[in-house]
Amino acid sequence: MAISVDPPEVSRALSQKAGYTFSILSDPNAEVIRRYDLLHVGGGPDGHDVARPAEFLVDSSRMVRWVNFTEDVRVRARADEMLATARGLR
Amino acid sequence: MPEMIEKRRNGALWLGFLLALGAWLCNVVFFVNLPGHRAIPWLSVLLAVAALVFLAIGLQRVFGQPRVYRGKILSSILSLVSLLLAGVAIFAFVHARALPPSAGAPQVGQKAPTFTLADTTGQAVSLDQLFAPAAGDSQGIPPRAVLLIFYRGSW
Repeated sequence: MAISVDPPEVSRALSQKAGYTFSILSDPNAEVIRRYDLLHVGGGPDGHDVARPAEFLVDSSRMVRWVNFTEDVRVRARADEMLATARGLR
Repeated sequence: MPEMIEKRRNGALWLGFLLALGAWLCNVVFFVNLPGHRAIPWLSVLLAVAALVFLAIGLQRVFGQPRVYRGKILSSILSLVSLLLAGVAIFAFVHARALPPSAGAPQVGQKAPTFTLADTTGQAVSLDQLFAPAAGDSQGIPPRAVLLIFYRGSW
């Protein structure tokens, strides 16, 4: 599940272009992004507020089991790493 | 007066250029998603700083010992291009790391805050709903975990 400040139309276009099978949620007013303390004020390409990159693995009791906060926006958690972590959950 | 010394090639300047090019190219490598990609930002600044050192040596040679090293114009152009490439690499490094601390973000062992957001079709989806069995799953097995990926957007 991916979350950004992009409106649904933009996320839909990205999803179709990239062929993603997971859904993308839109948080245009950054309410949930603020709730998770991930707001990067003025971090967008044209100076608008965006989410700083972060990944959370949440289990069915809503407990956070794994997190990743990058120090460098160019370095993101790799899909294979995240899948391996998810498979390792019990 | 006849020229006594044979003019030498300025290897330091070219090495500086290649290092600066390497530093800049590091920023392209992120899109390839290599296993060791966490080290690439550091490799990038390292190359950029090394490039600046060799450029300084090269320029010092050309302008300090013009009788030994030739090509003031070519050296200046090469230095300018290299400086630009190294500068972009250093700027990208600083800019990419200017992130908020996110000290209040949920940590391992804490509950993930609930939310309801619109999906790509405009349909409201809550975190709890994400733990419901997938619509296409005939066995009705709920997911054991959900991966939440917050990203900057504008892709």
